Amino acid sequence: MKTILFFLILFLLTWSSLSEGATSLQSLIPQKDLPEGWILIDGPQGYTKKTLFERINGQAELFFKYGFQKSVFAIYQNQKDRESQIELDIYDMGSVLHAFGIFSRFRSGDRGGGVGLESFIEDQSGIFYQGKYFIMLFGTERNPDLLRHWSLLISKNIPDPSPPPREIGFFPKEGLNPGSIQYFPEGLWGRKFLGRGFQGTYRGNGPVDTAGQGKNRAKEPKLLIAVFKNSQEAANALRQYRDDLARNGKIYQFKAETLRGKNDHQGEILVIQRKFYLLGASGFDEQEASSLLGKLTQNLNL
Amino acid sequence: MLSSKMDRRKFIKNLSATVVGVAATPLLKTASLGKSEQRAKVEHRTLGKTGLKVTSVSMGVMNCSDPAVLQRAFELGINFYDTADCYMGGRNEEMVGKVFEGKRQQVLLQTKVHDSDEKKMRASVERSLRRLRTDYIDVLIWHNFNSTKEVSDPKLFEFMTKMKKEGKARFTGFSSHSNMASLLKEASKSNQHDVALVSYNFTHAKGLKEAVALAAKSGIGIVAMKTQAGGYKKEKMGGLNPHQAALKYTLMDQNVSCAVPGVTTIEEIEECAAVMRTLLTEQNIDELKKYHGFLQGRICTFCGGCSGECPHGVSHQDLLRVVTYHEGYEEDRLIREAFEEKDLAQNVQFCSDCSSCSVVCRRGLDVKSQMRLVEALIVQGRGDSPTHPIDRPGQA
Repeated sequence: MKTILFFLILFLLTWSSLSEGATSLQSLIPQKDLPEGWILIDGPQGYTKKTLFERINGQAELFFKYGFQKSVFAIYQNQKDRESQIELDIYDMGSVLHAFGIFSRFRSGDRGGGVGLESFIEDQSGIFYQGKYFIMLFGTERNPDLLRHWSLLISKNIPDPSPPPREIGFFPKEGLNPGSIQYFPEGLWGRKFLGRGFQGTYRGNGPVDTAGQGKNRAKEPKLLIAVFKNSQEAANALRQYRDDLARNGKIYQFKAETLRGKNDHQGEILVIQRKFYLLGASGFDEQEASSLLGKLTQNLNL
Repeated sequence: MLSSKMDRRKFIKNLSATVVGVAATPLLKTASLGKSEQRAKVEHRTLGKTGLKVTSVSMGVMNCSDPAVLQRAFELGINFYDTADCYMGGRNEEMVGKVFEGKRQQVLLQTKVHDSDEKKMRASVERSLRRLRTDYIDVLIWHNFNSTKEVSDPKLFEFMTKMKKEGKARFTGFSSHSNMASLLKEASKSNQHDVALVSYNFTHAKGLKEAVALAAKSGIGIVAMKTQAGGYKKEKMGGLNPHQAALKYTLMDQNVSCAVPGVTTIEEIEECAAVMRTLLTEQNIDELKKYHGFLQGRICTFCGGCSGECPHGVSHQDLLRVVTYHEGYEEDRLIREAFEEKDLAQNVQFCSDCSSCSVVCRRGLDVKSQMRLVEALIVQGRGDSPTHPIDRPGQA
C-alpha cells in the first residue's frame, strides 16, 4: 500500500512539475503591468527543437549545441508611436551553464545593464541570462534605457535562482577584458581535441611584431580552462596538442603535464594539465603566461 | 531501408537515380579512378552570372567563434565566407570583419538581410557593413525564402536593386531550406537573382537536382549548404566519418558553384578543404552507403522525395519531424512539446483512422509505421499511459 502511495505521489508530483514546465515559459512573457503605452501585439509563440528553425533559421544549430529546450517569442508595440516595437525571445537552455554559454557567444565586451546574472545592452538590442534562461530583446528604435527597463521587467518574473557557473570566477581578474569569458560546449580555441570549457581574453604584454603582416602580428592573449571527463582524457588531449604543434608550429618544451610552443594563429602557447583540466595561455609572454596559469591553478584549488 | 545485402553497384545506382550527383556511369567511372584521393590544390568555380571565382569548398562561418579557424581557412586558400546579420547577434560578422581587415580584396563575403520595411532592412545592411569593416558586401542574401511569391516579390527586388546601385552589395540572392525546387524554378524565370543558397546534399531528390541545373543554366550561382545531411557525430555512428564523402558528392554536381559547410574547428576546415580537387573513392562510396543506411534506418531526412499526399491534408513531414528530432536528439522532452502543438495531435487523429498511408517514401521509410510511432509518442506525452511515463526528472 505504501509503495503504491509512494508511486502515486511521485507520479502526481512529476506530472505537476511537467505541466508547470510546459506553461512556465509562456508565463515569463510580460502581459500585465507593461510600461505605459505598450501592448502585446504578437505572441506568445512557442518554439521547440522541431520548430526553432522557423524562427531563427540555421542559427538554431548553435542553440542546439547549447542544449536548447524550447523558446517563446512575442512582439510589443508602443501605441503612441506604432513604428516603435520590441521583439522578445526567451530561451530555455536547460541549465545555467548553457544559458551562460549561449549568452557568452552573443555578447562582445562589457556593456552590462545590471540585469539577470549578466547582461549586455546595446542601442537596439539587449541580452541577458538568468538561471537556465537566455533572453534577447530587439528594439526598432535606438533606446538602450528602454531595453534595460524591459529586461528588468522580464527578469522579475524569472524564478530560477541558480548562481552563475563557478568557473567564471576562477579567471584571474587582473588584465581580464570585461565581458570576455565564454563557454564552448565543443571546439574550444577552435580545436576539436580541446573539447569543452571556458576561455577569457586579456590585455597582455605579448610580443608585438611591428613588421608582421597578418599572421605575425600580436595575438589576442587568451586563457582557457578545458574540462575533461578524467585525467587520462586530459593527458591525451595534451599529447594531441603536442602533435598538432609539431605539425603546424614549434615545440619549445614538452614534459609531463606541460607543453610550451608557438604557432601562427595563437602565438606563444603554454598548456598545463592539472587533474582533469587543461589550463592554457596563448599570446602572452612566457613570464606572464606562467604567472596567470599559476593564479588560475590556485583559484581552481588544484 | 537499405538492405544490408545491397551491393555497391546497386547502391551507386540508387544514389545516382535519386540523389544529387551524376548518372550512374560517370559515377562508377569516377569511383574507379578515385584511388589518388589527394591532389591538394584549391579549386575555383564561377559563381553563376556574378563571374566571381569562388573556392568550391568555402566556409559557413555561422557557428564559429574562433578567429584561428578563419585564419586557417584563409591560409588554405578558401576565399568565400558565408555569415549573417543575425548570427550571434552580429558577433559573427564582427569576427569575420576583424580577421579579414587588410585582406578584403582577397576574400568574398556573403551576408544576409531579413524581409522587413526598407528602413529596417537598410539599417541591417549598414550594421553588417560596419561589423564586416568594409564598404561593400559581395553577395547579399535574403534570408530564408519559403514561397514562390517571395522569390518574385517586387518590393524585395526594389530594395536589392537600390543596394546594388548604392554600391553596398555587388550581387544579391536568396536562401531557402524548404520547397527549394519550386523556388529555384521560379527564380530561373526572372533575371533578378544572382545567387541561391540552398540546402543540398546526397539525400536530396532528383527534382531538386533538376531545379539546381535549371537555375544554374539561367545564370544563378548555386551555393550549397547542409551538405553533410545533418552532421551526425561519428561517435553516434560507430566511428563512421562520412563528411568528406558527402561534401565530395555535392561538389560532383558541376552546377554547384561552391559548398559552405559549417565548421567550428581547425580540424574540420582542414578536413573540408582537403576535398577540393579530389574524386569520390570506393571508400567514400562505402561511407555514403553506411551513412545512407544510418539515416534511413532512423529518420526522414526531408529529402523531398516522397510521393503521394494525404487525402485529409495532413502534413506528414510535420509529423515525421517528431520522430526525426526525437531520434536525432534522443530527447524525450520532444514528446511533450509535440503534444503541446494542437494541430499535431489533431493530425495524428486522422492518421489513426487510416489503415495505410498514401504517402510513399522513395528511400523505403515505412511512413505508416512512423505515423504510428508519432501517435504513440504523443499519447505518452499526454500522459494517457501512466505505465510508460516519459521525461521524468533525471531521465532526460
